[in-house]
Amino acid sequence: MDNLFVALFEILSFGAIVVLVVLGLGIIASMMGIFNFAQGEFVLLGAYVTYIVHSAGLPVWLGMLAAPFVVGALGFVLERTIVRRFYAAPIVAMLGTYALGLIIREIVRGLIGGLYLSVPEPLGGSVNIGTMHFSSWRLVIILITALVMVGSYLLLARTAFGLRIRASLENPALARASGISTNAIYGATFAFGAALAGLAGALIVPVFSLFADLGLRFLIQGFVAVMVGGVGSFAGPVAGAGVIGTLAAALPWIIPPVIADVLVFVLAIIFIKFRPRGLISTKGI
Amino acid sequence: MSNDRSHLSRRRFLSNFAFASTAIATGVGSWVVRPDWANAASDPIKVGIATDLTGPIGYAGNADANVAKMVVKEINDAGGLLGRPLELFIEDTASNESVAVGNVRKLIQRDKVDLVLGGITSSMRNAIKDVIVARGKTLYIYPQLYEGKECTPNLFCTGPTPAQQCDEFIPWLIKNGGKRFALPSANYVWPHTLNVYARKVIEANGGEVIFEEYYPLDQIDFSATVNRVISNKVDVVFNTVIPPGVGPFFKQLYEAGFLKNGGRLSCVYYDENTLNINQAAEIEGLASCLDYFKALTPEDPFSAKLQATYEKQFPGTFLFAAGSAATGTYRGLKLWEAAVKEAGKVDREGVAAALDHAKIAEGPGGPAEMVPGKRHCKMKMYTAVAKGGNYEIVARSAGLVDPKEC
Repeated sequence: MDNLFVALFEILSFGAIVVLVVLGLGIIASMMGIFNFAQGEFVLLGAYVTYIVHSAGLPVWLGMLAAPFVVGALGFVLERTIVRRFYAAPIVAMLGTYALGLIIREIVRGLIGGLYLSVPEPLGGSVNIGTMHFSSWRLVIILITALVMVGSYLLLARTAFGLRIRASLENPALARASGISTNAIYGATFAFGAALAGLAGALIVPVFSLFADLGLRFLIQGFVAVMVGGVGSFAGPVAGAGVIGTLAAALPWIIPPVIADVLVFVLAIIFIKFRPRGLISTKGI
Repeated sequence: MSNDRSHLSRRRFLSNFAFASTAIATGVGSWVVRPDWANAASDPIKVGIATDLTGPIGYAGNADANVAKMVVKEINDAGGLLGRPLELFIEDTASNESVAVGNVRKLIQRDKVDLVLGGITSSMRNAIKDVIVARGKTLYIYPQLYEGKECTPNLFCTGPTPAQQCDEFIPWLIKNGGKRFALPSANYVWPHTLNVYARKVIEANGGEVIFEEYYPLDQIDFSATVNRVISNKVDVVFNTVIPPGVGPFFKQLYEAGFLKNGGRLSCVYYDENTLNINQAAEIEGLASCLDYFKALTPEDPFSAKLQATYEKQFPGTFLFAAGSAATGTYRGLKLWEAAVKEAGKVDREGVAAALDHAKIAEGPGGPAEMVPGKRHCKMKMYTAVAKGGNYEIVARSAGLVDPKEC
């Protein structure tokens, strides 16, 4: 019984981590139609900002607070200068953003000397119930993921800004005719997606330590999650991330990990074969 | 303006052409360190270093290249070898076997080096050894700790083998940890081969292996494994999971109360570089067994001198540490120096014959000597335990430990 609870908690916490990482990716993919291959590196940058703030002797939570703003600002600049040139050609956009990601990744690798560095969590230790131990920081991540999910949903579904984002996605020409600057909206959406990635990076770096390939590790999982969930809605990628994250964490409990790793992708491919538009195929929220 | 840009002037073409041809000729990622007293009368002996200056294990490769620069400078300052200066050729193997083969070929065919030292991973050694030893007809020294079983003629290994890392270490672990072992491992050749040997030593000393499990190299969530460790009441985790997985794995073990309940972590590649992957409390008591630790410097004046020289010449993030082959690189170059002195020439047959029984009286962690006919190196081994973010030496071999290879 104890085992079951521990297993459920661990699976839930890894699922939450994947959801957190995929959230920004999904919003950019669904709301802008751009597959941002540099998303993993935005996660890495969020982690790096947290590390920099920590190594400057400031409290870690300050770094975690700063990370989404710094990465969001960088995302905005990159959208204005580079990514906006790719909107007409989504395939080229994949290559372009991949190149961007590569540049960011190798710069960070140089800056940290290719090492693996630990960043302490603001809230360490574990919560003990009987003989069971639950990592406090993973609890915090689950909580923040839930908050961010609800917050993002409300932003997109309930605010005027969210309405504009959706309008720009659905019919850019009509949106422009109605006086919405789609240009500015795209910039803001991309920055928002990048900021979410930055936040994800900041929150997960105490769990996984800082290394140059941190973002890359989640990129493939993230794209499979978006595929399984379905592009075009907010809920799709989030649902997909939940499924992929849970599967990736749950399978090693029952079958050898080397097989589990592959099986996640095999299951995803089979699923997409039978449901090519993903779990949630409607457009909108 | 755009008109201007598309117009390719002759001058621009020539300058681009000159740049491109220089890049092709020297190669990107090639460095040549010339001795400052080279003269026409004695052409230099060429030492080739092929190591991972870039890519995921760049931190190790850069340290190895630094050690080579340090040793070559020291030899040149003392008058060179056989009255000839040493010239150092460094090629980047880029943590990528297909890039490496091309670059190593440059060392052999273009630079015609007299020795190649390098390669860090076993897959790298396997990729470049044929280029060096068989087709290149050049001497090759491999400096990293590894799984053993490399018995190619003219290929000498100067890093620790499974026997050197297990024979004294595992009995210590049983005494200072317990009898129930878990062997969580990354799924590649080193852990597979090392575990076969470790299991034999564990069982011969009255311990038992509770489970031996392999994970994809990039796995970073180990909750299922941690649960098996805890629920099976494992005493010693003999870890061969590598970064990036090892950090989260140790952290999850710590959070699950493994250390608090008296569990012992152990990992035979852990050196000063890897200490920073986790916070000190998460790996408190982690035991490692290597040929050198920085903690040896107070008791061993030669190691202290070496460590100080290195840190003075190369301050920064690339540490002089055993797990990244830095000590093996030092040992390899000094053994080779001794062999060249004995042979009195640099041709492969002569040097290999002398290297077969070469000895050095001083080195990082103590003396070292080749085991004749085995092409592996006897050396002293140390067991160290992590305490508050540093190592403390807790056991040392009585003499030189036999590699038991070939």
